[in-house]
Amino acid sequence: MKLINNRNLYKAAFFTCFILISIFTVSGMAKILDFLNTGADRGGMLRLATESEDIYLPKVNWTKLENPARKMEKNTLGKLERDYLFSWYVKNTALQNNDYKGIDDYYTLNTRQNLYRTIKHNKSQNIAIENTTLKHFPELEFYSEDGQLVVFTDKNVIEYQKVYQNKQLVTTIQDTTTYKVMMLLEDGFWRVRHFQKMEAAAFAKDTVRAKPMYTIKNNVILKNGTPFTIKGINYYPKNSAWDTFGDLFNKDTIARDFDIIKKANLNSIRIFIQYDDFGKAKVLAEKLEKLKILLDLAQSKKLEVIVTLFDFYSDYSLDSWTLTHRHAEQIVNTFKDHKAIIAWDLKNEPNLDFENRGKENVLSWLDHIATVIKENDPNHLITIGWSNSVEATHLAKQMDFISYHFYNDNTHLEYETNTLMKSTNKPVVISEFGVPSYGGMWNFWEGSVTKQAAYHKKMQAIFKKNDFAFMSWTLYDFPQVPDQVAGKWPWQKLRQKRFGFIDIHGNKKPAFLYINH
Amino acid sequence: MIKRLRLIIVSIICFLLFVFAATKTNNLEANISLVTTQKKFIAGKPIALQFKSNSTLATARLFIIHSYGKTILQGKNQEGKLTFKIPPIYSLKTGQVSWYLIQNEKVTDTGNFEVLPNNTTPTLLENYLGPNTILTGKEHYTMMVAIPTDSYDNPKADNTTVFIKDQFLENITVSTQKTASFIAWKNIYSRTKSGKMLVSTQCENTSSKEFETELNPSIATDFTVGFSRNHEFADGNQITKLETSKIKDQFGNLVGDGTLVIFQVITKNNMLLKTFAATINGVAIAQLLHPDHAETYNVKAYITGIAESNLIQITYKPLLSNFTYQFSEKNRKITVGPLKSFMKQIVPDGIKTELKIFHNGKLLETKNVETNKGYATFNLLAAFYKKPTYQFEITTLGITKKTETKNYEAN
Repeated sequence: MKLINNRNLYKAAFFTCFILISIFTVSGMAKILDFLNTGADRGGMLRLATESEDIYLPKVNWTKLENPARKMEKNTLGKLERDYLFSWYVKNTALQNNDYKGIDDYYTLNTRQNLYRTIKHNKSQNIAIENTTLKHFPELEFYSEDGQLVVFTDKNVIEYQKVYQNKQLVTTIQDTTTYKVMMLLEDGFWRVRHFQKMEAAAFAKDTVRAKPMYTIKNNVILKNGTPFTIKGINYYPKNSAWDTFGDLFNKDTIARDFDIIKKANLNSIRIFIQYDDFGKAKVLAEKLEKLKILLDLAQSKKLEVIVTLFDFYSDYSLDSWTLTHRHAEQIVNTFKDHKAIIAWDLKNEPNLDFENRGKENVLSWLDHIATVIKENDPNHLITIGWSNSVEATHLAKQMDFISYHFYNDNTHLEYETNTLMKSTNKPVVISEFGVPSYGGMWNFWEGSVTKQAAYHKKMQAIFKKNDFAFMSWTLYDFPQVPDQVAGKWPWQKLRQKRFGFIDIHGNKKPAFLYINH
Repeated sequence: MIKRLRLIIVSIICFLLFVFAATKTNNLEANISLVTTQKKFIAGKPIALQFKSNSTLATARLFIIHSYGKTILQGKNQEGKLTFKIPPIYSLKTGQVSWYLIQNEKVTDTGNFEVLPNNTTPTLLENYLGPNTILTGKEHYTMMVAIPTDSYDNPKADNTTVFIKDQFLENITVSTQKTASFIAWKNIYSRTKSGKMLVSTQCENTSSKEFETELNPSIATDFTVGFSRNHEFADGNQITKLETSKIKDQFGNLVGDGTLVIFQVITKNNMLLKTFAATINGVAIAQLLHPDHAETYNVKAYITGIAESNLIQITYKPLLSNFTYQFSEKNRKITVGPLKSFMKQIVPDGIKTELKIFHNGKLLETKNVETNKGYATFNLLAAFYKKPTYQFEITTLGITKKTETKNYEAN
């Protein structure tokens, strides 16, 4: 009798089936048990205070808290403001994505229906609206005795919106509106019960008077009324390139470097503040302290400083606008009276983001940041460090002076600068220029320290002749350069490390003779 | 051949020119202006904005911002008339509506109109009353907030009249309030009597349901405390009852049941005893076990931080003035008793009796037993008490007696 026959085959098939069915049953039961054991964390039922990240921080300024009923407690006001802003945030997100997420947390049963209808309508018409509000000036009207109901008027809410239909931008609109809002305390949330748009009220007059040390007259920057030509250099300490305020921050190092700069007869420096490094929307006190040390040092050495904000930052979406506004606000507000600052550079070379992030997005973001900075610090100038002279005309009206970076052949310098000056009628600063002394296999031994010196000699001659304002790149060669700056490949990095007037061993390169004229 | 080619080229150029011209004219913004003069609309009624244009082809879009949303409307050009119908979801809700006329991504005109509450629809009333329990007295109040709306849940215009009514015992008060910022409200002050107050509101023909507020008695005022007991002897067995007078607030309302009263007792030796009781119908009754020796208690009751009673004194007389004891079984058994009470009856079981054992004037041990049928018995086992002499001190019911020194045989 053969081993393989019908009978044995049936047996084997039967046996395999049995095992398979057993496996499926057991694993199926396990899945079911597993499912029954999952679910929301029981603690969630209590709705204890939820930890929230900073996701929406428009400027809120309660202009009035007196009301005929109960006195508003500070604690309640904080919670109310938070929930009110969340109600805006969920509404904004709902209008942008046409979904209902979070609406039932911040709108009462009756009120949320109105939003649902709006979303349904917009969804059917393929309309999406990106929104953000920039400022709120709420005035408390009423806070009930039992602490469960408030009415307030949110005066002159500045709303900025981008309207899309069929995924195409229809228009961008900024408007100012007053809203009357009633909120109820339900399940530990302040929820919107009534929300009514009203005519915007008249703006209160700004009473802050500027005390600027630097002013602009035609094409010239004036310091206390007399013309001032910026002769400066971009500065990072040698060992903390693109990380001035990091762990290696050292007062003595900076003081020594400032002495070198001052001895070279330069009068100003340009420094950089990284958005993440400074703590994003909640600026870290320790970083402000370090910045203050640096600025105080600069002041004591009689060096003027251009502070470049938002380095390594490239999110221009409306979602993050309010966060960046708070970031800028905290920094410029802290130093609005500092004597060492000439200007705030809003962002380094933002035009490089035009392609990836959308030119309109970048420009409208810059435009609003300019407003925020001017509002918080009317004493200092503002500028944007564009990466070339052609793009430098953007937002020229809002800027106090124009700055651009010159890395072209130096025969074009006069032409580019003069053209820019004529077209904008504002002072122009060449806030970066330079060549690397690197010569190696990656650039076919093109550069050298002598070539670098020759370049700077020629540049300085042109600056002297035209009395151009300049800031060279950069004081030091760097042993380390982060990938974000130029790229991660050796031919990008090696070049970027050798722009300095002083090499990594602290020796002055030949170009140092031509650091100034 | 060349002629033909020329013709083709010419026609292509003509076509391109036409296309160019057409796109150029389409790109031009037509002059579009608002015709509708009405600035105020009633909620629930259809709203349409009409514009006129110098072009019969021009189209535009209208972006509107409303209290509860934003949207874009597509206009229809009918012989130079451009009409935008506001969707019903926006015409139902009140508030200002801003509009922006958009042609080729540019805002060419802007304006606004207002939607007003519809007063022809039945009024709805939403009410919030709180706090819902308050104390009696002139400074306490509860607040009634009324939010009248039209049938579309739109708050009524300012200065709408709302009647706020309250009833307490035989008094009914009606007051007239005007709405402002969506609400009409009133503080309803408490009375001097405790009880239940009913509050309701009315706006136009709509009345609210009744809302209740409890007027609770205010805080207690000072009171007195008394006591009662079976007999005045310190038998360690009977119970003395401490009872407060009816505790009332300043307006004569009995304090709420369950108000906690602390009875504090200070003994002759300045020991502190405490007992607690909650009030029922204004009276708190606490109980205290009689001491087992002559004692004087000073008792005072408190409602912590609020009120206190007078100080009373309770004196307990000793149960007996003397007792007997015997030694037996080679002095190894000491029997105390019989202990007899005030009527010569045997004392209740469980009276504490203490024996202090001394050797050469030095205290070695203290033993405690409780009486049974009037007797307390101590056994000094030879195995444990090996000294040749012992002397004793016996204490019961507050009386102490010293025995003479007894001799013991060694085993």
